[in-house]
Amino acid sequence: METRALFWGLESFGITLFYLIGFAAMGAFAWGVVRAVRKFKRGRPSPGAPGGFSGIRRMAGDLLTHRTLLRRDPLAGCAHAAVFFGFAVLFAGTAIITLEYDILAPLFGITYWKGTFFKLFSLTVDLAGLAILVGVLLFMLRRGTYPPEKLDYRRGYLDEPELRPAARRWQMEDWGFLAAILLIIVTGFVQEGLRHAMERPAWGNWEPVGAFFGILFASFSAETLRAIRAVNWWFHGLAALTFIVALPWYKAKHIFAAMGALAARDPLALARLPKPETTSEAGTVGVGGMTDFSWKDMVDFDACTKCGRCHEACPARMAGYPLSPRDFILDLRLENEAARGRDLPGRTLIGDVIDPETLWSCRTCGACLEICPAGIEHPVKIVKMRRQLVETDRIDPLLKTTLGAIAASGNSFGEPAKKRAHWARELEFTVKDARKEAADLLWFVGDQASFDPRNQQVSRTVARIFRAAKLDFGLLFEAEKTAGNDVRRIGEEGLFESLAEHNLAEMQKAKAFRRIVTTDPHTFNTLANEYPEFGVIAPVTHYTELLCKLLESGALTVKKPLNLKVTFHDPCHLGRLNKRYDAPRRVLERIGCALVEMPRNRDNSFCCGAGGGRMWIPDKPGTKKPSELRVREAAELFPLDVFVTCCPKDLIMFEDARKTAGFEKDFVVADIAELVAEAIELDAILLADLPNITEKLTAAIAERVAAAIAERLEASFTKLSALAAASAATLNAVAAPAPVAAPPPATAWAIQPLAPAKLDYDAPAKEGLRLLVTVKQIGKLGDTFSFTADGRGILPEDFEYLLNEWDDTALEEALQIVEALGAGEVVVVTVGAEDAEATLRKALAKGAHRGVRVWAEGLEDADPLAVARLLAGVALAEQPDLILAGAQSGDQANAATGMALARLLNLPHAALAVGTEWQGKGVIGVTRELEGGLLHCVELETPMLVTLQTGANTPRYATMRMIKMAKEKPIAVVGVAEDDLTFRAAHIRRIFVPEATRAAMLEGDADAVAAKVIALVRGKMGETA
Amino acid sequence: MSGILIVAEHTRGALAEASLELIGAAGIAREKLGGPVKVLVAGEQAGDFAEALNRLGVEEILVAQSGNPHFDAAVMEEAILVAARAQQPALILIPHSASGGSFAAAVAVALGSGFAADVIGIGFAENGLTVTRAGFGNKVNVELDFPGSACVTLTVRGATFKAPEGAGSATITPLAVPLEGLAGRYRHVGFEEAPVSDVDIGKAEFILSIGRGIQDEKNVPRFAELAKRLGATLGCSRPVADSGWLPKPHQVGLTGKVAGNCKLYIALGISGAVQHLHGMKHVETIIAVNTDANAPIFNVATHGCAMDVFTFADALEQCVG
Repeated sequence: METRALFWGLESFGITLFYLIGFAAMGAFAWGVVRAVRKFKRGRPSPGAPGGFSGIRRMAGDLLTHRTLLRRDPLAGCAHAAVFFGFAVLFAGTAIITLEYDILAPLFGITYWKGTFFKLFSLTVDLAGLAILVGVLLFMLRRGTYPPEKLDYRRGYLDEPELRPAARRWQMEDWGFLAAILLIIVTGFVQEGLRHAMERPAWGNWEPVGAFFGILFASFSAETLRAIRAVNWWFHGLAALTFIVALPWYKAKHIFAAMGALAARDPLALARLPKPETTSEAGTVGVGGMTDFSWKDMVDFDACTKCGRCHEACPARMAGYPLSPRDFILDLRLENEAARGRDLPGRTLIGDVIDPETLWSCRTCGACLEICPAGIEHPVKIVKMRRQLVETDRIDPLLKTTLGAIAASGNSFGEPAKKRAHWARELEFTVKDARKEAADLLWFVGDQASFDPRNQQVSRTVARIFRAAKLDFGLLFEAEKTAGNDVRRIGEEGLFESLAEHNLAEMQKAKAFRRIVTTDPHTFNTLANEYPEFGVIAPVTHYTELLCKLLESGALTVKKPLNLKVTFHDPCHLGRLNKRYDAPRRVLERIGCALVEMPRNRDNSFCCGAGGGRMWIPDKPGTKKPSELRVREAAELFPLDVFVTCCPKDLIMFEDARKTAGFEKDFVVADIAELVAEAIELDAILLADLPNITEKLTAAIAERVAAAIAERLEASFTKLSALAAASAATLNAVAAPAPVAAPPPATAWAIQPLAPAKLDYDAPAKEGLRLLVTVKQIGKLGDTFSFTADGRGILPEDFEYLLNEWDDTALEEALQIVEALGAGEVVVVTVGAEDAEATLRKALAKGAHRGVRVWAEGLEDADPLAVARLLAGVALAEQPDLILAGAQSGDQANAATGMALARLLNLPHAALAVGTEWQGKGVIGVTRELEGGLLHCVELETPMLVTLQTGANTPRYATMRMIKMAKEKPIAVVGVAEDDLTFRAAHIRRIFVPEATRAAMLEGDADAVAAKVIALVRGKMGETA
Repeated sequence: MSGILIVAEHTRGALAEASLELIGAAGIAREKLGGPVKVLVAGEQAGDFAEALNRLGVEEILVAQSGNPHFDAAVMEEAILVAARAQQPALILIPHSASGGSFAAAVAVALGSGFAADVIGIGFAENGLTVTRAGFGNKVNVELDFPGSACVTLTVRGATFKAPEGAGSATITPLAVPLEGLAGRYRHVGFEEAPVSDVDIGKAEFILSIGRGIQDEKNVPRFAELAKRLGATLGCSRPVADSGWLPKPHQVGLTGKVAGNCKLYIALGISGAVQHLHGMKHVETIIAVNTDANAPIFNVATHGCAMDVFTFADALEQCVG
C-alpha cells in the first residue's frame, strides 16, 4: 500500500536527537507563550470582552471567512488566506501523522496513513504547501515591487525624513517572517523532490508539486541526491522547529494574539466605552501607565501586524495630525516589550511614549477599529488615556472652557439652560412639555440641534414633519442637558456620569412616553448604548429610521419627487458605530433622489472631524480639515445637487467646508429632513391645515398667545419708561437750574474709617502657612433677561453662575505657591448664598483645603466695600500669611474688593499681578501689569494682599469626579449680624439696558470715508495712531 | 469743607491723559457740588506735572513730594488722606486704571466715604450725586447714589469725559505727607517692557480685524501692514483663523478671544456672525466696513460703511501715508 517512511535514512540516534530537539523547541515555544500570558495577566480586567464561547465562535467565523482580512485589500486578504489555510492544513497533516506514528501505531498497532487516505492526504498537503508558497510570494511581490503607502513606516504626518530605528527593525521583521515561511516551504518541497527523484513512487502524481521538484533533480546522481537529502532533511526540520520556537517573539505572535484579540473584542467597543477604574495608589482615573491597561489592550498590542489599514483610514492622520492608529499601537507595543505589563521606572507613558497631542488628535470616528482585521480597539485606549489627561489637567484651554460651560449650564454653547427649547418658539404650534404631558415619543434634541442657528432650522423642520405625520411627541425643555457622548470621549468621565444621571432622572420624572427619538447620532449612540449602564431607558431611535417608517407606512406621502442627484454621508456614530446604514438611503429613494455613493461610504465613511470633542479644540495650523477632504470627495461626483447629512455636527462642518474648500457654486449641503419636507410639500400641508388649526385653537393656546403679547407689551413699556427716565436724568445733569429737589442735608464731613465686620467665626488653629483666597460666584447674563419689580436687580433665573475667572487665577496662584513650598493651607472664602457653595466646591476640588461662606439675607445688593468688610471679618479670624484675590469680577468689574480688603486689614497690597515670587515668608516679589502690557516689578512685606490678573497662570481643570470627592472637605458657614448687614458704600437706584445703537453710516467716496475713519481713530486713540 | 479732589496719575515721567479727563468730569460735578476743584499729584518729581495739570477749572494743585519717583499705592493713599482731611471734599475722582485701582477702594475704606468704580456717567437726583456704571459685560447700566455720604470716592473710566481745553489759573501748593509709617513695606524694583511680538486680543485697546471679505490668504500681509501703521492689533474672524491664514491668537469671538479691553474696533470684511459678535460687540467704538449693507455687523457698529474692503484699504493706505 502507498505510504512513505518518516525519518528517512535516520539511525535511531538521529531520530532520538530529532525528538530531543523537537521537545526542546516545543518547550521553548511554551515558555514564550507562558511569558506572554504572564504579561497579559498583569493587565486589568477587560469588562467589554464577551463571555462564554460567543467571542470564540465569532473569532472562528472571522478566521474561516477571512471577512476581516478581505475588506478593502482583497489581494492581501487572498494572500493571507492562502498562507493561513495552507498552514492550517499542514498543521492538521502533521497532527494526523503524529497521531498514528507516535500514539496509535506504537500503542495499539493501528495505522491509517496509507492507501487512498495517504494519497488524498499527500495531495491535500502538497497543494496546501503550494498555497502557502503562492501566498508568501504574493506578499513579497506586493512589498517588494509596489508597496502600498500604508506599509510605509516613515511617519510622514510628523514630517519625519527617514525611518526611525524601530521602524527599520519592523521592516526586517516583516521580511524575515516571510522569508522564514518561504524557506520552510521551499526546503519542504525540495525534500519531497529529492524523495521523488530517488524513489520515483508509483503514487508520485498525488504529490504534484513534489513530483515537479523531483523532475528538477532528475539529472542528479544517486549519491548527490542522498547527500543533499540528508542535509536538507535536517535543514528543513531545524528551520521548522526554529520557526516554532520563534513564534512568540516577533511578528509571528499575531497568529495567537490576533485570535485572542478577535475573540475578546468588545462588540460595542467605542459605542459603549468601559467605565473607568480608579487606580488605587494615585487615586486617578484612566490610563497613565502600562499597568493601567487591560489584558485585552496588551493582547491588542501584540496582535498588530502593521497591515496599515487603520493608518490608511484615519481622518486625523490624513488631515496632518500627529496620530496614526497603527503607530499608536506599535509604540505601545514597543514600550510593553520592555515593560512587560509593568511600569518602567523613570518613564511616563503619556509624554515619553505617546504625545498628548496624538491623543487629542483622535475624532473617535472608529474608522481604525472598524477596519482592523485583528480586532484591535484603538480609540478605546485613546479615550482611556485621555481620561488621565483630563484628570491631570492637560487639556486645551478652549476645551476646558467648553467642559466648564457644560458643567455649569448643561450645554456646550455656554447658553442659559432656559434657552434650550427656544428654537421651538418659532413653530406655529406648541410642542408638548414631556414633563407635564404624556406623549408617545420623547424627542431628545441635543446641543447642536437646540442652539446652533442652522440646526435650529432643521429642528423646526423635523418638528413640522412630525406634526404633519401626526406623531405625538414632547420635549424635556430646559430639563434636558447634553447627552454627554462627546464629553465621555473627551475623557471627562465624571461629568459624563453626572449628565447621564441627570438626564435619566429627568426622563424618570417626565410623564409617560414609549420611545425616544433624536436627530443627533452622537446623542443616539450614548443614549442607546451607554445610558443603559446607568439606569432604565426607553428604546432609542434615530429620526432617519422614523422618517423611513413614516414614508413607507404612508403616514407621510411624497407629493413631489425631488429628482435630485444626491450623495449621502454616513455619520460615524450612526453608521460605523451602530450599523444603521439603510434607513437614510431608503428615505432618499422614497423621496425620489438619485443616490450616488462617495467612494468611501457605509462602514468606510470618512469622518467630518468634529467627533470626540475635536469640535471644541482649535484646528492645528498647517493641517487640513477632514471635512474639506470629504467635500472634495463629494465634488468628484460632479454634477451633484445635494450633499445630504443626518447629523447636526455634519451639517455645520460640511456647510463650512463647502465654503472654505470653494464648492459654494457646485452643490449644497442639506439635512435629510429638509429634503423630506420638500418632497412631502410640508409648506402646503401646513397651509391647508391652517383654517382647521384656527378652528381648533384651544383656550390654552389663546392664553399663551395673550400672555406672550402681554409680555412683549410690558417689555416695550418698561423700555420706553426707562428711556424717558434716562433722558430726564441727562437733562438734570446738564441743565443749570436744578429741577430736582435740593440734596438732603449732607452728613457732616468726617473721616469714619471702615472696620472689618464682626463675625461669629473661629478659624481652626493655624499649623503653618495659611493662604486665604477670596472667590466670587459671578452671574453671567444671557441675551434675554428681565429686571426685578423694583427695577434694582435682575431676576436670578436669568443668570448662569460661574467661578469668577480672576479668582480662579488667584486660586491657581495660591495652589502653585503651596505646591512649590511643599507646605501650607489654602482657604477659600466667599460671600454668597447657598448656591455659591457649588463654586466653593469647585475651588476645593482644585485643591483648596477648606472653605468659608459668609451670608445673610439682604446682602444681595452688597457693594464691593460691604463685601470687603465681611471678608475682612473672616481674614481676622484666619490670620493668613498671604491673601490672594481676583483683580476684578467678571460680572460687576469693580476691581475694588481686593484693595478695600487690604486697607481694612492694614496690609501692604499690590493690584493686577501677573506673577508672584515668594519663599513662604519675608518679602514677596510681585509683577504687576499696567496699561499696554508694561510690567511693574515690586517687592512687599508679608503678610500682604495681592490681586491677580487673568493670564498670570492657567487655572487647572476640576473634573466632576474631583468635585464630587471634594464633598468631604469642610465648608464653614458664617452668618452676619444685623449691624453689619446694612452698610453700603453705594446704593443701587436702578438697572437698565443702555440704548441700542445702529451704525451711523459714513457717506462719501472711499477717500472721504478713509479720512473720516482716520479722524475717528485719532479722536479715540490719540494723535500717535 | 467742599469741592472736588482729583488724583492725577503719571507713569514713568508721563502724565496720564485720564488725569485731565477727570478735570472734565469734575466740571460737570461742580455745577451741583460746588468748588473748589483741586488736583493732587504725588511722587518725587510731582511738581513737573503741575503745569500740565493747570487746566481751565482747576483752582489748586497740591504737589506731594515723595522719595520715590515711581508709583507707590501706599504713598498715594496717605497723600490723598492728607489732602482730603484738609479740603474735606464732597467728591474724590481717581482714574480707573491699573494704578488708580490699586488705591481707590482703600482710600474709600480709610475715609469711610461712598464709593463706585469704573464710572461712565455723573448726574444728580433726589439723594444728590448719582453715577452710572456698566455691568454684566456692558449688557446693563447700573445707576448708583450715595445717601448719607458726605464724601464719595469714584474711579472714572478713561476716554469717557472730555478734558477741558485752555489753561487754568491754579495756585500750586506743596503738600507734606508723613510717610514714616510706610517704611520697609514696599520697594520698587523696576519696569519691564511689554513683549512686542505677542498678540493679545484680550488686552488690546485698538483692534483691526479682518474676515472672509479679504478673500485670500495672500491679502493678509496687506491688512497686517495697515494695522501696524495705524497702531492696531490685528484680529480676525473664525473663518480666517480656521483657514490658517492667521494664527489662532488673532481670532476674536466665542472660540477665540474676547476683546476685553478694546476701545476701538475696526471690522473689515466681517459680516458679524454671532460667534464673532460675542467677542467684540461690547466695544465702545466699532467701525465696520462690509460690502453687504445688511450685514449684522452694522447692528453693533458705531460707524459703518457699505464698501468693498479693498477699495477702502486703498484709500486708508493713502491716508496713513
